[in-house]
Amino acid sequence: MTFLQDPEFGDRIITLMAALVLVLQIAAVGQRWLVSSIRIFAVQSFLLAAIAGIIAYFNHASHIYVAALLTLILKAALLPWVLERLVRRIEIRREIEPLINAPLSILISGCLTLVGYVVAQSFYHPEETSVRAALGHNTLAVAIALFLIGFFTMLNRRKALTQVLGLLSLENGLFLAAISLTYGMPLVVELGIFFDVLVAVMILGILVFRIREAFDSMDVSKLRKLRE
Amino acid sequence: MILLWLLIVPLAASPLAFFLRRRHLMEAVNLAAFAVLLCLAAALGVRLLRSGPVSVWDGFFYADALSALVVLLSAFVALVCSIYAVGYFRHDESSGVFKEGEELGGGRAINKLREYYALTPLFVFSMILVALANNLGILWVAIEGTTLASVFLVMFYGRETSLEAAWKYAIIGGVGLSMALFGTILTYYSAHQALGTDTLAGLNWSVLVGNASQFDKPTMRLAFILILLGYGTKAGIAPMHTWKPDAYSEAPVPGAAMLAAGVLNCALYGLVRFYILSSKCLGQEFASHLLILFGLLSMGVAVPFIFASHLLILFGLLSMGVAVPFILVQKNFRRMLAYSSIDHSGIMVLALGFGGPLGVLGMLLHMTFHSITKPLLFFCAGNVQQQLKTDLFREAKGGLIHSMPLTGAAFLMVTLAVTGAPPFSLFLSEFTILRAGFSRGYLVLTILFITFLVAIFSGFLIHIANLVLGPDPGLPSAETCRWKKSSVVGLALVIIVMGFWIPAPLFRLIQHAADIVTSGR
Repeated sequence: MTFLQDPEFGDRIITLMAALVLVLQIAAVGQRWLVSSIRIFAVQSFLLAAIAGIIAYFNHASHIYVAALLTLILKAALLPWVLERLVRRIEIRREIEPLINAPLSILISGCLTLVGYVVAQSFYHPEETSVRAALGHNTLAVAIALFLIGFFTMLNRRKALTQVLGLLSLENGLFLAAISLTYGMPLVVELGIFFDVLVAVMILGILVFRIREAFDSMDVSKLRKLRE
Repeated sequence: MILLWLLIVPLAASPLAFFLRRRHLMEAVNLAAFAVLLCLAAALGVRLLRSGPVSVWDGFFYADALSALVVLLSAFVALVCSIYAVGYFRHDESSGVFKEGEELGGGRAINKLREYYALTPLFVFSMILVALANNLGILWVAIEGTTLASVFLVMFYGRETSLEAAWKYAIIGGVGLSMALFGTILTYYSAHQALGTDTLAGLNWSVLVGNASQFDKPTMRLAFILILLGYGTKAGIAPMHTWKPDAYSEAPVPGAAMLAAGVLNCALYGLVRFYILSSKCLGQEFASHLLILFGLLSMGVAVPFIFASHLLILFGLLSMGVAVPFILVQKNFRRMLAYSSIDHSGIMVLALGFGGPLGVLGMLLHMTFHSITKPLLFFCAGNVQQQLKTDLFREAKGGLIHSMPLTGAAFLMVTLAVTGAPPFSLFLSEFTILRAGFSRGYLVLTILFITFLVAIFSGFLIHIANLVLGPDPGLPSAETCRWKKSSVVGLALVIIVMGFWIPAPLFRLIQHAADIVTSGR
């Protein structure tokens, strides 16, 4: 079992998982069923928790275990469950046609990934040959790509719930950036962020529900009374 | 210990108000809590002037003159808003606004009040936490907290438009703050390489500020851009200001006043902390240019929206298409207040961008005076709106001074004050900023700044004068509520006094805070 101690092996596993996270994100861009989007988010969060766990294991950083566990409980289980219940209650299952169609959206996501790599490159300091630097590079690129694609999803989609999912995947990108750059934020900050995300989703959920009741739709492009 | 009490008081007031259920008791809890808070904040200020920065829990909470100033202003705004809120909601209740809400699926009146009186202390708690948190990550958490606690304020009335405004507020705020979080992570990273600490203290401002010159420069540059975009969204500087007119016009007036005068300071406070780090790390040039750009842009954006009616003649000749947005804009006086707020956050950001001891002093003076003046503007607008049951200029016939002499006079006065006319205090701060601009050699930009100020002054004044002055339309006289009256008169007195005399300890506190921004210590 010597390979379990080998940082090289850990690095490869992490890169593989980060790649999977990215693939899932791009799959979510083309996805129109709300429930599938939520499940993709759940799997993505599960992978993030795993990445955090592996980083914690190889660097003997116990506070990342806590972050990994919280990600697992909150983002991979609790939030998807809450969101799925919401979908069932508001009885809207499909996203209407996004502003930009699926193939083009996926193409744009690809370009955004490239941008992520270019930006991440500028942080890469070749003189640091430690595992940390090597590990940081690939995952940071994925993290920035997640952030940008999440941003794009929020602009592109019109259903209130998919915008919430976009915001959440944006947050996932930030989590990945934090653990790959600095092994996570200090624990108390991490806890605060989790708390905020949880409360934010609850509030947005209530809002989605109220909007659905008031407008008989979840289409945010109908929210256009307040105009200059 | 005083730091903990500052946090405990509002935090305890929230569940207390929630479980008391009776209207009088909830009002009393809010008033008492914020009055105590203001006393504590003043005590903190005095103590800081005497013995320098305080911290508790191994530096988890930390207060210097800059944080004390923000705490003091937040507490002041919270108190005056809670006094006004008593009168405002009693009027709402008696005029049946909540009943309309009930039909739209909102709760019963008492539940609505409970929502307001229980959430406001939480909202204030997060504002205080913003100022007292030493850790920049906690600072972010607290600023996000102010958003979360205030989303319910924006959707308070449960109208379709309120939901729309709340949605925009939550989503734009959420995206903006995620950028700020990214900026915080990058700051941590750039400091990480220099400090190499994995502990909690790694993000503590008091630790970071001493070592800022060793940070990784490219990372810090990107971090500051992200922070500026993020906290700039929260402060409502253009072009990230779009949520502001909606949120300010939909929230109940006391809540909107707290957003405009309280949260604005908190967001700018976050920005200032990072500005100090970035100017120590990268030199002033980089941050200054960005800030000046965004500051002027915000002021410029506010101009056409406020000036509306007279540009209309000009634009109407040119093209109806161009003029349409301007016609629509000037129809609502609550929205106009939001544009004034965008303008003021622009001024403050611009002042910070001009930099130098004078620019920073101007910014902090402006922050102080703005927080004192802005609530009154909202209160007057709220009184008018409750009296006329509309917030549209078109439906208000003018001549309000006859039916509401007190509100009308105060409205005119505060309009002059808020647009920076002498002798009111905002003139002093704007003049300081102007001097800073000239002395730092930004000739063209300062002239542009003056132009914007004059344009906003005239546009704003014309609108409010039309609303307040004019022949008597024969409305029944209003203004019987003593809570509303006392908050308007009290605040008006404070504004007049501040125009001629700033208490010496307050001025020293502002000077100390300015020293912290310019020298980092």
